[in-house]
Amino acid sequence: MTTDATLKSDSVGESRERLYFAFRNPKVVIGLAIVLGLLLVGLIAPLLLSAEPTQQFDAKSASPSGEHWFGTTYFGNDVFTQFAYGIRSSFMVGALGGGIAFVIGLTVGFTAGYRGGLVDEFLNMLTNVVLVLPALVVLIVLSTYLENRGPVSQAIIIGVFSWPWVARAVRAQTFTLRNRDYVDLAKLSGKRAPQIIVREVMPNMASYLLMSVILLFGGAILFAAMLDFIGLGPTDSISLGSMMQQSMAWSALHLGLWWWFVPPGLAITAIVGGLYITNVGLDEVFNPKLREM
Amino acid sequence: MGRYFRRKLLIYGVTFVIAVTINFAIPRMMPGDPIARMLAQNKVSNVESAARMHAYYNDLFGLDVPLWQQYLNYWGALFQGDLGVSLFAFPSPVSSVVLDALPYTLGLLLPAILLSWFVGNGLGAIAARSKWLDNTALPVSYLLTAVPYMWLAILLAWVGGVILGWFPVAGGYSFSFSGPQFSWNFIVDALHHWFLPFLSLFLVALGGWAIGMRNLVIYELESDYSNYMQTLGAPRRLVRRYAFRNAMLPQISGLALQLGVVVGGALVTEVVFAYPGLGSLVLDAIQNQDFFLLQGILLFIVIGVLVFNFLADVVYVLVDPRTRLGLEGGAS
Amino acid sequence: MRHPRTAVAIAAAAVMALAACTDDGGGGEDPDDLSIDQFPRDETLYTTGAAWGPPADWNPVSGGEVTGLRGLGYEPLYLFNPNTQEMEPWLAESGEWTGDLTYQATLRDGITWSDGEQLTAEDVKYTVELGQLDGVPYSNVWDWLESVEVVDDLTVEFTFLEARHQEWDNFLFNTTIVPEHVFSEYSEDDIVTGANEDPVVSGPYTVHSHDQDRIAWVKRDDWWATEALGLEVQPTYIVDIVNTSNEVTLNMLMQGEVDLSNNFLPGISDLLEGDPNLSTYFSEPPYMAPANTAMLIPNTTMEPLDDAEFRRAMAFAISPGEIVDSVYSGIVAEANPTGLLPIWENYYDQEAISESGFQFEPSEAVSVLEEAGYEDSDGDGFVETLSGDPVELTLNVPAGWTDWEEAARAIASDLRDVGINVTEEFLDAGAVDEARDSGEFELVLNNQSGITNSPWGHYRYLFQLPVQDVQTGANFARFESQEAWDLTQQLAATATDDPEYAEIIADLQRISLEEMPSIPIWYNGAWAQASNAVWTNWPTQEGDNNAYPVTWNGFWTMGSIYMLTELEPAG
Repeated sequence: MTTDATLKSDSVGESRERLYFAFRNPKVVIGLAIVLGLLLVGLIAPLLLSAEPTQQFDAKSASPSGEHWFGTTYFGNDVFTQFAYGIRSSFMVGALGGGIAFVIGLTVGFTAGYRGGLVDEFLNMLTNVVLVLPALVVLIVLSTYLENRGPVSQAIIIGVFSWPWVARAVRAQTFTLRNRDYVDLAKLSGKRAPQIIVREVMPNMASYLLMSVILLFGGAILFAAMLDFIGLGPTDSISLGSMMQQSMAWSALHLGLWWWFVPPGLAITAIVGGLYITNVGLDEVFNPKLREM
Repeated sequence: MGRYFRRKLLIYGVTFVIAVTINFAIPRMMPGDPIARMLAQNKVSNVESAARMHAYYNDLFGLDVPLWQQYLNYWGALFQGDLGVSLFAFPSPVSSVVLDALPYTLGLLLPAILLSWFVGNGLGAIAARSKWLDNTALPVSYLLTAVPYMWLAILLAWVGGVILGWFPVAGGYSFSFSGPQFSWNFIVDALHHWFLPFLSLFLVALGGWAIGMRNLVIYELESDYSNYMQTLGAPRRLVRRYAFRNAMLPQISGLALQLGVVVGGALVTEVVFAYPGLGSLVLDAIQNQDFFLLQGILLFIVIGVLVFNFLADVVYVLVDPRTRLGLEGGAS
Repeated sequence: MRHPRTAVAIAAAAVMALAACTDDGGGGEDPDDLSIDQFPRDETLYTTGAAWGPPADWNPVSGGEVTGLRGLGYEPLYLFNPNTQEMEPWLAESGEWTGDLTYQATLRDGITWSDGEQLTAEDVKYTVELGQLDGVPYSNVWDWLESVEVVDDLTVEFTFLEARHQEWDNFLFNTTIVPEHVFSEYSEDDIVTGANEDPVVSGPYTVHSHDQDRIAWVKRDDWWATEALGLEVQPTYIVDIVNTSNEVTLNMLMQGEVDLSNNFLPGISDLLEGDPNLSTYFSEPPYMAPANTAMLIPNTTMEPLDDAEFRRAMAFAISPGEIVDSVYSGIVAEANPTGLLPIWENYYDQEAISESGFQFEPSEAVSVLEEAGYEDSDGDGFVETLSGDPVELTLNVPAGWTDWEEAARAIASDLRDVGINVTEEFLDAGAVDEARDSGEFELVLNNQSGITNSPWGHYRYLFQLPVQDVQTGANFARFESQEAWDLTQQLAATATDDPEYAEIIADLQRISLEEMPSIPIWYNGAWAQASNAVWTNWPTQEGDNNAYPVTWNGFWTMGSIYMLTELEPAG
């Protein structure tokens, strides 16, 4: 009962306290700095840069210099310009794709896990159907079906096919949580199911849910990069994955154009890694005991 | 117990039917005319013949009958193990093309998945125990799990293959061998080719398991039952063991869930290393609009994932008996 | 964790080895060479660039084929030599038109199949008659061939309904002879679609073994040409590797693991300079022999692309030089305005070219547009159609074909510079094919007109009629000129030494320059880069050793087989 009480008493003071700890937590600060820094690059750089990502300069296969910060590609495209546009598209796909998947996954997972019985079986079946369809292969097929591929359509199909991951995990957690004493107590006291889910079950897996959001965001970025890499990226714009694909197609490894394939992969790693590190930090903030460890 | 598994099997059966149906439908919605493409690829230049061959192959592949009949034929053939004829490796049957590639992918995937799971969970559990380990192992894990599969593969190929020249960057075994064979030379050679693709799959997956386990163990240690046990004076080791056991649950279902992602990872990794597995085959099938082959590969992966899921269910029940009660219990 | 990892690794290798049990060798006669399971490097030629899928079809009668099947394994009656433009007797010792509608071929004596049987006139008759089955790629020969008669063991006589000399030459070097005693055992289905595993061949090599990513050929000891022509193929083994990525191919080539790459390898020009270990056909740009013409195909059924003057203006607006330099770094060459490959340069009609030809000159493009009445009346910087509607054209190329994407960007930007509003758009390759074949496109790039025995091939590609709902392989522009098609058919029926032959070609050039059904831009190369690490004396343009060093389908029988007899082991 003591735990129950502390979990429910989420006063204004406590929120402020959490915010305070959040900005004192080095992991949160570092992770957010990386993610926001790259987000700014993606948002602002394309506005300031005069060049288009497909514009060709005279200097071809040039190594990084003052003029071309990240060098140029085999065709003389400025790698930094492509990089900035690519980051923008990655954030877009991550937020949209991850968001869609999270909403679907959460709804399905809680409902199935809490209700059990027929509802669970139906939803579980639905989850399983989407789950057993190997996401990337299905995404590939769907992408091939699209004549014009853009970041938005990519984000949507990624979102629609990557939620079972969350649904299954949320369902499994809900299963174990719903048999706990405080949930039984809440039931006895006549609370309704949505209320119990929101008030009793969700807080107990808050850190897990947050991790899911972040994993989905990162996962969508990674999925998009994989699609782009096998040549199913946006047909009308540049992305980090298609930069890597291009660099491989034009033998950048062997020609030693490392500045072509290192930055896009590094950016994805930094964005996704930054998100994860932020997540650890927030985890510590939400679970005060972690701070004391 | 029996009832639980009968239900599960029913669910998987239904899943299979739906998966097969989708499997049938999606490739047929793909753009383009696969036979025209096959003919174009073989440079059938004279136009009169091309038209005749087009009609002939349409008939041969059964594309000229109504869709519902194609669907029935599809099921009929499926039960006879006949997945059709590959367009891109014509006239090889799809099943033999897929079976040729399967060992390579399994050889990469199984060790990478299982080893990364064991090693990762071990690391995660240990990391949850000490602040010092947590601070070193965790950042590395985050870095690994955030790396796109193909980027790590590219870096490994670049450093290990191009710069250092220690590892080959193409094929499942040297092109000087006439075929796989039982000899030390060959096994060493195959492992030499296998190592980098395996390593990149293993490393990326490793990070995810370590983090998942670390977070879950800490979460469990925070939970009321742990606190309760500690208050009662239970030994720390015992509390940890319970925490670890409970944390295993999502990790076990995660193992099955992760499969789709790792298969995707294997796909791009195989592409980078020109490793002759299913991943390279998927890419070929799509580039050649070989939807018979694509169906075959999808089906193999679907069956694989279903079996894996079922195994995970079995293990899940063995680890957490409460689940069984929950499913059969009076909640409804 | 060290121990289980090793165990699993070995288990995995064992699984792969087990999978090998399904792989098999071919039917040859030399047990020593066949039983070998690791190829000695200095006796083996490694090639790549020809195969896009696992070797699966050893049947030259059906549509598919594995690398080297036609040329190394099965052989035609004649070879066509693109350098001399001559037909060279191969399985046939000689052949000639004995009447207006009859042709007689005499086979060489003493040619044996790899199972020891004699190759005779019956095999030739049988092979040609297989064309009467639907689904055989050369079935169209029976539209104008009447009958095949065996005169004696070594002599075959063909009687025609129509003497299509050029098309017949094309048939002679493209159709390989198959053994009747093997194929007659097959059912009709097996002939048309069977895999013909363990092929019984007449050529210098027979199949040794294969896996999904490779095929190995082993030299036969009793190839007829060794005695008859003094030809000896040098490599004991040829291993052809199924195409992988450019990156991987380049790496294998540079490390001497692959001897000959017939891939388009971007960046190769940077590596060629100052590397004595790499050989190309030309020692300087464009390095590669021109193999086909890349053309801009307008849909001539829609406004304003149905107007020849508009198409002319486009031709003047496009700078092929920029594509050659910046997209291809100089490994391709600008196309002649006629679109005919340089091997046919003797037929170039200079008069027609200077009168109606074109070159990159934007000002000329602008004035052609003006004279034809195309104006920019709404002031948006782009011309409208004659009826005043805005012109907005899309140039489609397959997404992911980076060189074509870059070329399309350059072309679209050149056209916009002269006031023609063209936007490049990259679609899935299948969608581009479908749009192109069905006529639902505005502009596409295409290069399906390549090296063959006569410019007739190019004109059939340009002018073929009637235009159908789905166009396969020819006249994608849907251009309708009965005159041009009649001339093309007349060309097919004209012998090369007939004085009319060059005249018809000149007439066709004039039509293509004036009507501009498609706009030739650059010549794609017969991509070939060879390593001198293990094998030397690769063919080059200079001297007699000038066969194309190309392993693609159809090139072996255009003389590439000579490359194998000229190679020399290094060191």
